[in-house]
Amino acid sequence: MIAPVERELSVSVVSDPLKKTMTLNLTVREMAVLEELAAKKDLSKTATMRLALRLLQAVDAKVQMGQKLYVEDERTKDKSELVLL
Amino acid sequence: MNESIVWLREGATGNPVQASLFDEITDDHLLLWSTTWSPEMRRYVAANAPTDRPEDSHWNWRIKSFSSSGLLSCHSFSLVCNGELQALMIARDLASAKLPGQFGQPLVHLEFVATAPWNRPEFHQPVRYKGCGRILILAAIEVSRACGGKGRIGLHSLPAAEDFYEQKCGMTLLGADAAHQNLSYFEMTETQADQFRRNQMKP
Repeated sequence: MIAPVERELSVSVVSDPLKKTMTLNLTVREMAVLEELAAKKDLSKTATMRLALRLLQAVDAKVQMGQKLYVEDERTKDKSELVLL
Repeated sequence: MNESIVWLREGATGNPVQASLFDEITDDHLLLWSTTWSPEMRRYVAANAPTDRPEDSHWNWRIKSFSSSGLLSCHSFSLVCNGELQALMIARDLASAKLPGQFGQPLVHLEFVATAPWNRPEFHQPVRYKGCGRILILAAIEVSRACGGKGRIGLHSLPAAEDFYEQKCGMTLLGADAAHQNLSYFEMTETQADQFRRNQMKP
């Protein structure tokens, strides 16, 4: 038996291949921020919005479990709570 | 849930054998873990000195899987061959690269990776199947590419697995991370990921 090793690369990681399309209306300032973040993170604007969605869901899950979100100043070690709606 | 056909090698003969990679850890996979993998791990721990205890012997995949379920940022994988569970992985895509040159850019962090006891040389000689870790690294790279991370991945390695990540996967060691129990932190760049993927195509 000869292994078709090329098939090892056909690893599919998209659980839901059916995508839905929506139109997103942004203000000029919001679009500027999105473009700046996309450039900084080396992502497309779509990937940046999807990242934001995953981040919001992950943070919301922590808050729902009764956990708090803090940011720490690396230099002073001062911590402040990040309050989310 | 997606199933990908992948190829492992029999430990005894080196012959290729078809396996299935699922992009989810299902209840069936957890049942296999609790009825086969976990008992074998417990037997090994009971029969050996504490110093020989596998570093992941206390991992409860049922709890790990539950705490990551439903989150878009978490990606779980199960590798199954001949009806037996061979490896498990949970990765998270909300992490930033630390290497100069890609600092701050998104990457996929491999939170937990483990192969079944029968695929480890300290349990079985020869191991039942080889290549499980390589398949999971490939899956993580594909997750990173799907999320726009261009194949960048990172992980904190248990000491026993450091050679695999550095030598076999070609990842860059950034040193011990005090924020993660002083585990060694490794990163794979976009270039290293491309190289790793190309190497898998060699016969």
